[in-house]
Formats: sequence, C-alpha cells, structure tokens
Amino acid sequence: MAVIVSSNMEPQNSKYHGHRIEVSADMPAVEKGYGGNKVCREVACGFSDAKASSQDAKERSASMRKLWIAVVMCIIFMSVEVAGGIKANSLAILTDAAHLLSDVAAFAISLFSLWASGWEATPRQSYGFFRIEILGTLVSIQIIWLLTGILGYEAIARLISGTGEVKGLLMFVVSAFGLVVNVIMAFVLGPDHSHGRGHGHGHDHGHSGQDHGKGAHRDHDHEETGHNIHSQTVNIDIHHHDEGHSKQHMEHHHILREADLSQPLIDSSVRENTERNINVQGAYLHVIGDSIQSVGVMIGGAIIWYKPQWKFIDLICTLIFSVIVLYTTIRMLRNILEVLMESTPREIDARQLEKGLCEMEEVVAIHELHIWAITVGKVLLACHVKIKLDADADMVLDKVVDYIRREYNISHVTIQIERE
Amino acid sequence: MENSKASDQKDSRFPYRKATPFHYHKLDAESPRSSNNEIGFSPGSDRRFAFSRQTLFHQSSVASGDSVTPMLSRTSSSIDIPLNKRGWSEETFLWGEEEGSDEKPSIFTHLLSGFRILRSGNRPMRRLLLLIFLNVAYSTVELCLGLLLGRVGLVSDAINLTFGCGLLTFSLFAMAASRKKPDRIYTYGYKRLEVLSAFTNALFLLFMSFSLAVEALHAFIQDESEHKHYLIVSAVTNLLVNLIGVWFFRNYARINLVYRKAEDMNYHSVCLHVLADSIRSAGLILASWLLSLGVKNAEVLCLGLVSVTVYILVMPLFRTTGGILLQMSPPSIPSSALSKSMRQVMSREDVSEVSQARLWELVPGHVIGSLSLQVKKGIDDDRPVLQYVHGLYHDLGVQDLTVQTDYA
Repeated sequence: MAVIVSSNMEPQNSKYHGHRIEVSADMPAVEKGYGGNKVCREVACGFSDAKASSQDAKERSASMRKLWIAVVMCIIFMSVEVAGGIKANSLAILTDAAHLLSDVAAFAISLFSLWASGWEATPRQSYGFFRIEILGTLVSIQIIWLLTGILGYEAIARLISGTGEVKGLLMFVVSAFGLVVNVIMAFVLGPDHSHGRGHGHGHDHGHSGQDHGKGAHRDHDHEETGHNIHSQTVNIDIHHHDEGHSKQHMEHHHILREADLSQPLIDSSVRENTERNINVQGAYLHVIGDSIQSVGVMIGGAIIWYKPQWKFIDLICTLIFSVIVLYTTIRMLRNILEVLMESTPREIDARQLEKGLCEMEEVVAIHELHIWAITVGKVLLACHVKIKLDADADMVLDKVVDYIRREYNISHVTIQIERE
Repeated sequence: MENSKASDQKDSRFPYRKATPFHYHKLDAESPRSSNNEIGFSPGSDRRFAFSRQTLFHQSSVASGDSVTPMLSRTSSSIDIPLNKRGWSEETFLWGEEEGSDEKPSIFTHLLSGFRILRSGNRPMRRLLLLIFLNVAYSTVELCLGLLLGRVGLVSDAINLTFGCGLLTFSLFAMAASRKKPDRIYTYGYKRLEVLSAFTNALFLLFMSFSLAVEALHAFIQDESEHKHYLIVSAVTNLLVNLIGVWFFRNYARINLVYRKAEDMNYHSVCLHVLADSIRSAGLILASWLLSLGVKNAEVLCLGLVSVTVYILVMPLFRTTGGILLQMSPPSIPSSALSKSMRQVMSREDVSEVSQARLWELVPGHVIGSLSLQVKKGIDDDRPVLQYVHGLYHDLGVQDLTVQTDYA
C-alpha cells in the first residue's frame, strides 16, 4: 500500500507546506494505487489538490496578515506626516507622505494579488489564478522604478529652482523619520529570524544546503529498489533532500523531522528568498528601496546642512542611491521574467531529469520536454516519452510520473507515451 | 464575433492577393533573399499578407503533416517563418547559439548586437530604431535647454520622454531577441518577450493616464495656468515626432486588433505609445490655446480628456496581454468548440474519459495544451486515439498538445 504519513506534521508546520514521507512498497499493485490519483475525476479539475491548497491557504493567510500590518502602519505614519507637513507648511514632508502613499499602493497591489491567487480555477483560467501574483509583483516593481524616476526628477527640479534656503535640516529630519518607518516595516515583512526558527540543525542540512547552492544538482546515486523510503519532500522551495543513505533511514528521518519542526532549513540567501511569498518579497523590496532612498536623502540633507552651497550633492546622492535601488530590484525582476517567459525554473536541472528518465529500461528517448512554472513555487512538466514496443505503457507511465514526483517534486506532470 | 469580422474585412478587401503571397513565401523558404524584401513581418501593405499567409500556412501544415508522428515538432510551428539564410547565420553569430550551452548571453552581447539591427532587422525594427533616435535626440535637446534656461517644465517633459524611450528600447530589444531559437532553458523560445514588452508598454500608458488625471486634479485644485505657455514649442515638436511614429506604424493604429502573430502585439503597443504621446501633446496645445482664448479650467478639461482617451486606448491591449501572461485559455478558441471537441473524443469507443484539458497561449497564434485521457482496458495500441486527438485539436488551432493516456 502506498502510505503517506503526514498528518501529524501539519499543526506544527503551519507556516510551510508540510512534508510528506512516502513509503511505498515494491508491488505493482501499489503503483497503480498511487497512480490512481493522477487523473482527477472532473473535466476541469482545479490546479492543486486539496492538501496543497490548504497549505497554500495557510501560507497565503500568513502573508496577508503581514501585509495588512504593514499597510496599517504605513497609513498611520502617512497621516502623521501629512498632518505635520500641513502644519509646518513644508513641501518636503508632503512629498515624503506621497511617497508613503505609493508604498500603500504597492502593498495594496500585493494584497490583491495574494487574495486573487487563491481563487478557484475556472474553465477560462484552467491553471488557476496563481499568475496574478507574478503580474502584481511586476506592476509593483514598475512602480518602484517609476518612483525612482520621479525622485530623480524632483532632485533635478530642486536643483534648478533652488530657492536658496537652507533645506538641509528639514530634509535630514524628514528622511530620518521615513527611514525609521521603513526599517520597522522591513522587520514586519522580512524573513522571520526571531520566531524560534533558528537555522539549520545538524549537518544533514548543512551538506544538503551546499547541494542546493544555486541550481539543483541532485546527487542521485542509486535507484532504490530495496529501500523505498525516499525523499522527504519539503515543499517550501522546489529543492528537496535526497537521503539516499540506506543505513539509518529511520533515525535519519527522525532527526530531520524534529529539525524540520523548528526551522526553515535555510542557510543560503537564495533559498531564503524563495521561501516567502513573492508578493511579500516584492513589498519587502519596495520598503528596502525606500530606506535606501531615505539614507541617500539623509546624507544629502546632512551635507547641505553642513555646507549649504553644495546643492548639487543632493542630486548626486539621489542619483547614486536610485541606481542602488534599481540594482536591488534586478534579481526579482529576473525571477519574474523567467516565470513569465515559461522558462525552466532554476531549481530544476532539466538535463539531470532527462538523464534520469532515460536511464529507465523501457525508455528509449525523451523529447519535447517542457518544464515551466506557473508561479515561483509551482512547476509543471510536459514531455513525450518514447518507449520500447513491448513495454507496458501504463507501468512506464506510472514509473515516470512517480520518478518525477519523487525526485523533483513536480506534481503536475503530463506525459505522452509513444511507442518506437 | 468581432475577431472574425475584422479578419473577414481584411481578407475580403484583398482577395486577389491570397494566391500570390503563398507562392511568394514558398520561394522564400527555398532560396535566400536579402532582408530588404518583406518576408512578412513588416507593416505597410504587407501586413495584409501576414493575415492571409498565416491562415494558408496553417492549412498547409495541417494537410501535410500528422502521418507518422502525431504532433509537429517544436521548431516547425506555424509562426516560425524561417528567415533568409544570411540573416540566420548572422543571428547565430549575434546570439552565440551553441547546442550544449546553458548560459544566457550576457548583457554585453545584447548591447553589441543592438548595433547590428540596422543591417539585419526587418522594416518595423528599423523604423522603431529611427523613432527611438528621434525621441532620444529630442529629449536630450529639451533636457539641455531646460537645464540651461531653468525651466522645470521642460525638464519634466524630457524625463517623461526618456521613460518612454526606455520602453521603446525594450520593445526593440524584444523584437530582436524574440527571433532566437528555443534553447535548453527557454524551451518555448523567446517569443513571449514581445508579449511582455507589449504589456509593459500598456502598463506605462496606464501610468501615464493616471498621472495625467492627477495633474488635472492638481490643476483643478490650484490655479496655475501660466506654465503651459512655455511649453508650446516643445509640445508642437513632440507632436510632430510622435506623428511620424504613428505614421510608421499606421497599420496598428486601432484599439481592438486581431492578433495573429507575436509581433502584432508589440507593434500595436508601440503604435499606441506614440499615439498616446501625440494625443497628450495635442491636448497640451489645445489647453494653452483655449487658455489664450480665455476659457476657464481649460487645462483641467483637456488633461482629463486626454487621460480618459489614453485609458480607453490602452485598456484592450492591457487586457489581452494580461490574459496571455496569466495563462488564460486562448480567447480565439471559443469554449463551445472546446467542449465539442471533448465530446467528440469521448464519443470514441476506446476512450472512457477525458479530463484536465488545459490550454494556454504562448503568443497569439501559438496555443499549447495538455490533456488527459482514460482509455478502456484491453486497448493496447493507443496510436489511433492519439492521432485522432492530435488532429482534432490541431484543427482547433492547438499546435502543441501533450496527451497522457491512462489505461483504466
């Protein structure tokens, strides 16, 4: 029987997708049984099965909570700034308040995308609405770029229409306030270091952490026939560990299970970045960009306050820091672009997958292999597999689907079996 | 349906051209020609070729293929009209295509190859390059003048233009890069870049419309009406430059357009971009003229009008590009046709169930899908079923279909 042991892990791992320990015995009937849920019963099946969608919902609500907190804080600070700016009749403070308003807009877009990505799939949108996240993050990054341009323009305008009064102190104070606000929000939105989830316990995670530095080169040394306890799939990011150690399965799993309870298994920053929802990441990037800008304006304001004749320093500072902000968005923009271009996700090594599939006995060739992601966590695969004339197509199909699910954790697989 | 009506119009206007472009293109596939001939991507009178050629090509590929392998191979989809040989080798040189390499070309190779666009690009690309140059020249002049003379309005206009130029450059880059062949990482090729650039353009135009609305509101609240007068000269020049751009892309100057190929979207977005810019300049000119006539709240009216117009212009493009990027079901295939095909497949005696039919559009004109069949037990050879299903969906317009057969 195919046994999926996972239910007692759920309550503790409420933040992440839980992990499944699949123990499948080596009987052909078993494969059928497991393969039974390949095909869903309805014609227009929803994109994710119930388990994944409940984990999705949990993660989504956690991210939404974070964003709501950030939005509320932003609105409070913005109203404080607007009140102060009107009272002091200062354009600089009002400009900063407008900046915070744009933050609110970006958060609103992220919230909307988060909410929308939970909608049920319809026949028109057969893959669900997960892409809305990506588009929403794209829009908010465009807003960041637009704001950077506007800030640059304002710096130039300030330079041109220099009214000569000492604005240094005011700039400094306002931007310091903005910096504090942004730093607080960065803590709210950022990675959770302080919730009892420390870093990786045990060397097991250490060495597998090195395994997944950037791409996912899985060290798949042997095809388990005897020991069928395979990977422990942690669905946070696409990678997973391949515990091919045949000796201490049970203890191994036990250790990892305990360790998993308390930490997000990351050490490298790449994995940290893919852990959070992409919308939260986008909002975080927005806030970080704002703090960098505030630092720039602070430095400019301090210099002008100190030496009021060096007004062009303001412009130079703004420009330099704008470039820095744009640079921080590049990585996320690249991720977004890769998803939107339907490219093979970085975590999955297509060559390895092809090689692993071709190593199966009945498989002659693989062609038209397409692996693409619908959003950062969800990957789909479609390919054509040529098998030998006398092979049992159903068994091969089950094997292939099982292999892909196990090794690469791609659950939405469409394989077309062709005979030679 | 609106789509078919538009295409009927186009086709019926030039019925006599249908025969010639087909042969014209067949010759092209065999013998290399210089890239100055319109191989098919250029607007102008050739665009109607593109329509008729597309449908003819589609039919021809359906008639010829599908005997041995149930599906077309990846590289011979109907929109991959091959370039001439000279451009081909230049392209492989341009992009450094090797079979075994996985790494993406760096930014520098892209920059260097940008200079080769003049030689190897097709007509819209060259026109776009010219347009970008004009815009860049104009905005630098404006920026320098604004800095020298100390007029903030000129500087803001120049920066606005620079944003637009950046976007047009991205469109140009997308046009150039989308001709690359699919490689290991981008298994579906680079055509999506055109859709992306169209989406970005549409987004920028939406931002522009929003900012114009804010400006109108601003002008409504406060009463500063003098500064528009400074900008008459710059507005007129801007209008002229953008009208040149509209003229270049005049075939795409419509709101609702039938998209047959990937490039259609890109060209449409560029045209809308310059059109919106020219409408904005025209609005500014109109506003200052009305102000000089003494009409109160003239620029509020004009700016508001311009903002609403740009919004109306852009929304359909935004929706369509957004739909493609969201992996929506292709709007060109009505759901009635889809369900009819599914019923036809299920009515076969060896098929017991059809499920998980998912279709999406890579670019307009290239539909990809996946399907899951349950075949009754005892049927060993699924080839006839596969062929039937592939043929059926190919007639619908789905080029790449992956069918998973499960034996119940």
